[in-house]
Amino acid sequence: MPEQRITITIDEKGQITAKTAGFKGEACLDELQSLLEDLGTIHEVKKTDAYYQQNAIKVTQKQTLGRT
Amino acid sequence: MSAVVKTVTPFTQRDLLLEALDELGVVYHEKGNAIMTERVDDYGAQRFIYEQGAYRFQHDSSPWRKLNFKEWKTVSAFLGAVEKAYHQAYERLQQRLAEEERRLLEEERKRFVEQQKQVVIQRAKKQGYNIKEIRKGNKIQLQLVRTTY
Repeated sequence: MPEQRITITIDEKGQITAKTAGFKGEACLDELQSLLEDLGTIHEVKKTDAYYQQNAIKVTQKQTLGRT
Repeated sequence: MSAVVKTVTPFTQRDLLLEALDELGVVYHEKGNAIMTERVDDYGAQRFIYEQGAYRFQHDSSPWRKLNFKEWKTVSAFLGAVEKAYHQAYERLQQRLAEEERRLLEEERKRFVEQQKQVVIQRAKKQGYNIKEIRKGNKIQLQLVRTTY
């Protein structure tokens, strides 16, 4: 049975990189949008060779660290 | 006639002054708003009195009076030593505060990253993914897998 995979990497500053596999067309972006909504502003979208099979997207966090 | 006058650094921080006296090996005890030292002159123990926001040194003002007190015979020499030790204690305090600031920022950073992770995990679970968390150095990797039918 086909699988859909998303690999999400969060670095020490909170920047998120997400890679998808097993999605068709724009569905990967929709899925990432729902997962990463409000967690950061997307600043880079890379369409890989197998665009309809695999996409990579980078998100930077829009929140700044501050003490309350 | 003209002159240049320089004052001793005002000892505004009690804890730093006590730390400086400890560093110099000066025996003292506190009495009300005064820090009584073991230096004794005709008027009794020489002391630091807290007034107008700082500790000021009270002593017999006789100019010829010299005390055999460790290596500081004159009041001027003693206060010079206290001033130097006070400055060093102040520097140490600044370092401690900077370190504490760094520690707090680091804790806040970790809390923020953990919060990011938890949000992603909760959303992924709701969307039917199995989740595996892997640590790669300073980074967190979440592997989300979902079977489609």
